[in-house]
Amino acid sequence: MRGASRIPARLRVAFVAILSVAMLVPMYIMVVNAFKPQQEILRTPLGLNPDTASTDFLAAAWSNTAFPVVEGYAVTLFLVLACNLVAIGTAVPAAYVIARTPKPFFQFLLLFFLAGMFIPPQIILVPAILVLKGLGLMGTIPGLVLFMSATMVPFTLFIFTGYIRMLPRSLDEAAAIDGAGRQRVLWTIVFPLMKPIVATAFILNALSAWNDFVSPQLILGPGSQFKTITTGVYAAVSSYSTNYEVVFPTLLLAVVPILAIFIVMQRYIMSGLATGAVKG
Amino acid sequence: MAARSTWTRGRDTLGALTLTVPAAAVYVVLMVVPVGFAIYYSFTSYNGIPSQAPEWIGWDNYLRIITDPIDEMRPAVWVTAAVALIGAFLVNAAALGLALLLQRTNRFNTFARAVMFYPHVLSALIVGFLWQAILGPQGAVNNILAGAGQSTLPFLSDPTWALATMIGVIVWGQFGVQLVLYLAGLQAVSAELQEAARIDGANRVQVFRHVTWPALAPTVTVTIVTSILSLLKVYDVVLGLTNGGPGDATQTWAYEILAVSFANNKVGLACAQAVLLILVAGLLSFTIIALRRRAETGAEAVS
Repeated sequence: MRGASRIPARLRVAFVAILSVAMLVPMYIMVVNAFKPQQEILRTPLGLNPDTASTDFLAAAWSNTAFPVVEGYAVTLFLVLACNLVAIGTAVPAAYVIARTPKPFFQFLLLFFLAGMFIPPQIILVPAILVLKGLGLMGTIPGLVLFMSATMVPFTLFIFTGYIRMLPRSLDEAAAIDGAGRQRVLWTIVFPLMKPIVATAFILNALSAWNDFVSPQLILGPGSQFKTITTGVYAAVSSYSTNYEVVFPTLLLAVVPILAIFIVMQRYIMSGLATGAVKG
Repeated sequence: MAARSTWTRGRDTLGALTLTVPAAAVYVVLMVVPVGFAIYYSFTSYNGIPSQAPEWIGWDNYLRIITDPIDEMRPAVWVTAAVALIGAFLVNAAALGLALLLQRTNRFNTFARAVMFYPHVLSALIVGFLWQAILGPQGAVNNILAGAGQSTLPFLSDPTWALATMIGVIVWGQFGVQLVLYLAGLQAVSAELQEAARIDGANRVQVFRHVTWPALAPTVTVTIVTSILSLLKVYDVVLGLTNGGPGDATQTWAYEILAVSFANNKVGLACAQAVLLILVAGLLSFTIIALRRRAETGAEAVS
């Protein structure tokens, strides 16, 4: 039995190893070609000659005015934080009363929010732009934050409600009997217990805010003074897509921060995704 | 007595309601109201210019989409259907297969899981650009083929190849999510039951077929619904990889809405297309959930 299962085990490791290498090939191609001139990229796409390797192309991408890199990081990071603040900040109290009030109306309210999970944000963007125009928020960062947060609220609220339902009710009741108001019970008793699920929501919302392209592109407008990482890359790459000495360094600069964060946090990101999707 | 009448007994619903107001405000103003507007504009001829009022035209936009007299919108429907169905099948097959291989927790498997997942942390737009640089006519793969004296391959320049390539790229970028979900689902499968089945003489395939697969039923529902929902709205990858081309071979429905109808100021038509896509997404999800209910009750019996 042992001997029989050992050979498949080796086969399995070999298969997974080959597949892992294959998954990483695009990354490898991007990294090595970010240091080469166009001629060399075309001639030897897989090789890297240390003698001719140069950081000039990265430097050129770094100072490309179409994609102001540092500012792109900053704007994107701001969006990640602001959207999470709005989405989590509003979803916590709503999820709390929905989870703790066993009345049909609140169940209906939950369904009302859940329906939002079936609405693809990119698709609702067209009429949302008209609403933002009406509010005078079109083309502004607050307008963008509000729209992106709105798309995050349904899922955030959904996983929060499921989580709060698992927390013992007796905690709230004890605090209420001791005279704590609803807000106080929520923020000093329940919220601290929600840390794991808040972290999950934060990670998932952060990934979607970081990678969003359509919302900033259409709400801020292509000519906006604010460029996110994705809109900056689009501005820098879309019309030069065969000029690889521009494409590869620009893409590399765009993905380095998120890949670094992923490598450090991969365990939490992946377990967060698992709990987030299965809970509730 | 005062404590008995606290809000935990559900006395002041109004007070509870105020806590839902901030979330409801954000959600209603920027998700629900836009859906309402989309429905309204879908019955109008409107170009989005504020000075020109929308003109009510009834079902004309929908009729135009359904009858499609000059065959401008149907290709996008087929492309989206192919992306959603073939993509969902490939994503789930790859994810489940790898989840079974990477089930045990050890260093090698943890590394491999991270490698399978990493494309998902990249923006879909960047994934599109990256693969365009690798598979394009001047891209890395074709340069290697040309250098080796082989003929080049039309990954992105032939309509059929381009669609297949795009589905492949989307699957490459997405299956990591479903892989993680399957791994989480597999943890919930009873190890004792699998062991018992093995002792009773079941081989690997039989254990999977009769114990693991039925117990995974709720996970399968989640993975199918999440993958189809995300595949129906594919837009960024198209923009980076093919820009819809060659011709309209890789134009998805979301691309058609944003880059064709909306970009050409056909707001009424774009809204009708959006409403149809939301309806399809909702109907498909509910159908899948309803169809899966029986399999899931089976899962409860197993676990």
